[in-house]
Amino acid sequence: MQGFLDNLIRSKGFDPATWQYTQFVYLAGMAAAAFIVINFAAITAGIFSWAERRVAARMQSRVGPNRVGPGGFLQWVADAVKLLLKEDLVPDEADKLLFRIAPYFMMVGFACVFVALPFSHRLVVADMNIGLFYILAVTALIVVGIIMSGWSSNSKWSLFGAIRSAAQIISYEIPAGMALMIPVLLAGTMSTQGIIRAQGGWPWQWFLFNNPAAFAAFFIYFISALAEGNRTPFDLPEAESELVSGYNTEYSGMRFSYFFLVEWGNMWVMSALAVTMFLGGWQIPGLSPERFDALRGGLGVVAEVASLAVFAMKTLFFVFVVMWLRWTLPRIRVDQMMNMCWKYLVPASFAGVLFVAAWMLLVNAQPWLGYAMRFTLTALGAVSVTLFALRVLRNIHDTGDKFDFTSNW
Amino acid sequence: MAETLPPSQMQSPGAFGAYVRNVRDSAMSFWEGMSVTLSYMFRKPITSQYPDRMPVSVNHTIPARYRGFLEVDMDICTACQACERACPISVINIDILKGDGKTVPKLRMERFDIDIGKCMYCGLCVEPCPTGAIQHTREFEGAVMHFNNLTLRFVPDSLQPIPAYKPPKGAESFPRKPLGEITRALVKKWDEPPPAFPSKEEAAKADHGKPKAGGLDVAAMGRQLAAKALQVKEDKPKLQKVIEEAMAGTDCGDCGYPDCFGYSDAIAQGKDFSPDKCAPGGADSKAMLETILVSLKTGVVPAPAAPAPGAPSGGSESPAAPASAVPAEAVHKGPPLAQTLSKDELYKVVLDAMAGTDCGDCEYPDCDGYTKGIVYEGQTDLGRCAPGGEDTRTKLYEIMLGTKPPPK
Repeated sequence: MQGFLDNLIRSKGFDPATWQYTQFVYLAGMAAAAFIVINFAAITAGIFSWAERRVAARMQSRVGPNRVGPGGFLQWVADAVKLLLKEDLVPDEADKLLFRIAPYFMMVGFACVFVALPFSHRLVVADMNIGLFYILAVTALIVVGIIMSGWSSNSKWSLFGAIRSAAQIISYEIPAGMALMIPVLLAGTMSTQGIIRAQGGWPWQWFLFNNPAAFAAFFIYFISALAEGNRTPFDLPEAESELVSGYNTEYSGMRFSYFFLVEWGNMWVMSALAVTMFLGGWQIPGLSPERFDALRGGLGVVAEVASLAVFAMKTLFFVFVVMWLRWTLPRIRVDQMMNMCWKYLVPASFAGVLFVAAWMLLVNAQPWLGYAMRFTLTALGAVSVTLFALRVLRNIHDTGDKFDFTSNW
Repeated sequence: MAETLPPSQMQSPGAFGAYVRNVRDSAMSFWEGMSVTLSYMFRKPITSQYPDRMPVSVNHTIPARYRGFLEVDMDICTACQACERACPISVINIDILKGDGKTVPKLRMERFDIDIGKCMYCGLCVEPCPTGAIQHTREFEGAVMHFNNLTLRFVPDSLQPIPAYKPPKGAESFPRKPLGEITRALVKKWDEPPPAFPSKEEAAKADHGKPKAGGLDVAAMGRQLAAKALQVKEDKPKLQKVIEEAMAGTDCGDCGYPDCFGYSDAIAQGKDFSPDKCAPGGADSKAMLETILVSLKTGVVPAPAAPAPGAPSGGSESPAAPASAVPAEAVHKGPPLAQTLSKDELYKVVLDAMAGTDCGDCEYPDCDGYTKGIVYEGQTDLGRCAPGGEDTRTKLYEIMLGTKPPPK
């Protein structure tokens, strides 16, 4: 981002280091980037709210919202307008200041993540050398917002939801952080773009299939991310059967919509992070990052768009998986949630880090071991995906139904 | 999830085995569960997108005997009003205009309204219909903004009454329009404005329930028919024809005979003495038949009554008027039936006048007992039939004494 602005200033014939208005240009650039990123986050969250309802409906043999716009696509706009026009109610007994500012904490914590999240080869707001660390740090702001909203609502349900959420998010930070250390170890950098560059376009070049511990780390990270995003099966903080709606029970109108914007927007964040860390990010198969850098002109733009598409496709697939999980799994109990974190994910992630460190020394001495393991794991992954697809088809045919994705939309 | 731990983490073989088993079990249950939910993703949703995105219109998928909105084919409606009488909750409203059957049709309908907002779809109106003119359709979509739009008007303009259909004798099928066509055209769109409230002029023009100028002069026609009947008194077939003219001629079967011929023949043969069985004809037919019966008994055509002040001038009784309001001429037409009929015949007539519920309110065990009490045992209290009410009391006074009952 800064490099882009420096080049812009140079093209006007000034030296960015000595020109007196450089800081103003930087400020304007920051404002523009913030505007674009926040709008991207809000709009994807809105679209996911529609997509989730369509996916949920389809998995329950229903149709879902399909009347507003083509295929119901504009449903989220209608819902957003409705939410913005509703009364913004503040309970009489609430702590009014905290109640009002809590949603902004969540919004800020969520929007800040996008600063370091890559979108394509060049498209990233700031490629920080501590990118991953930064993401983990700003995500914690969301917990502050949740506790604030739960406390200030002065309601039992809100407070219970907030405390559950705090316990859950803080617990799952540990396995999530440790699991993310494995790609950092493999890549040798915390920069998100650097981690992507350390991988490749083909599946066997991804960190996912690098070694068994990295493979497990991907699942540990994904489970922890679900828990941190309060997604099913870890939606205890907003368990509607026990807590009405958890920490956002007392909210209405626009402030309420912030909570849901963050929840759905988080689906992009967790999926994009998984893709960045384990699935090769925007890497185009057969095009190494060095050759990509060298591309100029029209071909460069085409490659840039292609890398954006690759990244978006992978991320959207995992967004779908998150929705798919929601309609598959029941909500787990609090003790099960804690049991899973501390007894399974935490030890496994620590063991994984140790294993990867040892494995890297081993591969350094015997490089063929690394290749053998990558291809074996990739083959296993391909076989699993094929078996799973066959299993799905068999599930359809065994009930006398047939594969039909196109009718009754 | 599917991973093993290095041996350094192992505490005891049993605990580690359980740990691995738990991890494997959860991986397997994810595999099973997610394959099931994904398989539903790729099936056709079972939802029917009623009403606008149905592969087949719903009206074609519901059974043929579904009881939807009622429909009347006015082209084969005999105006017998059997449906109106059958309706337990007065959903059907029929207004009849009567004529002499020569210059103007005997029965014309100036109103045939069915309030489907009130209809309970019991189907009792469909059963007595002699021609199958009234039927349930498969139409059922009655969501409207204005409740008044739910009244189906099968006579579109009351100023152009629709003549009753005269079914050919012995016909077993009738040319009915395809079911549903008429009702579909009458059902309003959901957002249609309500019908305009009638102005004073329009209300005066329609003027339901009041005698029509230029209607049938029942008293005159009754005397005319009575004179004819006296001429052909011995010729039973001809007498039957004269008597049938006093009836509505709808062959509805409400009198208990299969058709008008059956009822009129029974009267002509002297088997039946009740003048009030013709339901479609109502008070008019009853008055005419009474005139004929009395004339046949006494051999004299009764003299025209002096119009009582305040009595309906034209003599045409509207169907909406209560049946107990017996026309003036019926009261002043000569000696009461008690003096003209034999005791056994009188017994039948008196029994007919009662409500026939055998309720025992009259302090006799049943209607039969009360009738015997009046006819054979000299019971003079004629106001005991509680279910029959004022109607029966009027009839009994008329039969036994030939007078109007004293006010209670």
